[in-house]
Amino acid sequence: MNYPPLFMRLGIGGQRRRLSLWLPLFLLWPVAAALAIVLTPVVLLAALILWSLSWGKTVLLSGPWLLGCLCALRGLEVNLNRGNRLLLISFR
Amino acid sequence: MSDNQKRILNLLAEKKISVDEAQRLLSLTEPGKDTGAGTSGESAKPGGKAKYFHVLVQPEAGSEEKNVNVRIPIALIRAGMKLTSLIPAHASDEVNEALREKGIDFDVRNLKPEDFEELVAALTDLEVDIKGGKEKVHIYVE
Repeated sequence: MNYPPLFMRLGIGGQRRRLSLWLPLFLLWPVAAALAIVLTPVVLLAALILWSLSWGKTVLLSGPWLLGCLCALRGLEVNLNRGNRLLLISFR
Repeated sequence: MSDNQKRILNLLAEKKISVDEAQRLLSLTEPGKDTGAGTSGESAKPGGKAKYFHVLVQPEAGSEEKNVNVRIPIALIRAGMKLTSLIPAHASDEVNEALREKGIDFDVRNLKPEDFEELVAALTDLEVDIKGGKEKVHIYVE
């Protein structure tokens, strides 16, 4: 299994200035994990209630699916250039 | 037979390259050797495991159009594909109906993870170049 990305690099550039930020995503993961633990009973209850409407499985498995998507974000890179303007989003 | 091998044989048939050159190029396309295919030479080797899906949109020189370079991890597409298995049957029907209204006759239930694995395997041998208007689009996996 992949690990979630540790940093998000955000690059914004104009004609003269270029700004490059490394956002430490690893600081968010403990908070997200704590939030997930707190929300687990709520999700389980929602899954039970929605089971008769056939949305229960979706609600129950949305957590693991979301975690899989987060882990798969590592390596994603979007780079847009137009003239001297630049936008870069990269997950490392 | 890969696309590169077919291309080499076509060049030989059109007498654009000699037999010796074709033989040398064909030997380079054998699995385990670097094919050097495409403009970038970064595409995945045949038999190698693709990790990233690249889309490059490059404008003509001097053009003010956008230059787009997107690298998407195959794992992210794979994770996205799993969403289809979470959608209930009645919701899939609604999605299909909405797609049909937009003129897209497609059943989202036909999107299966095992089909995607086959697609990824095929993508390792694929490189697409589209030239049109002011831009050139280059799609490949590495």
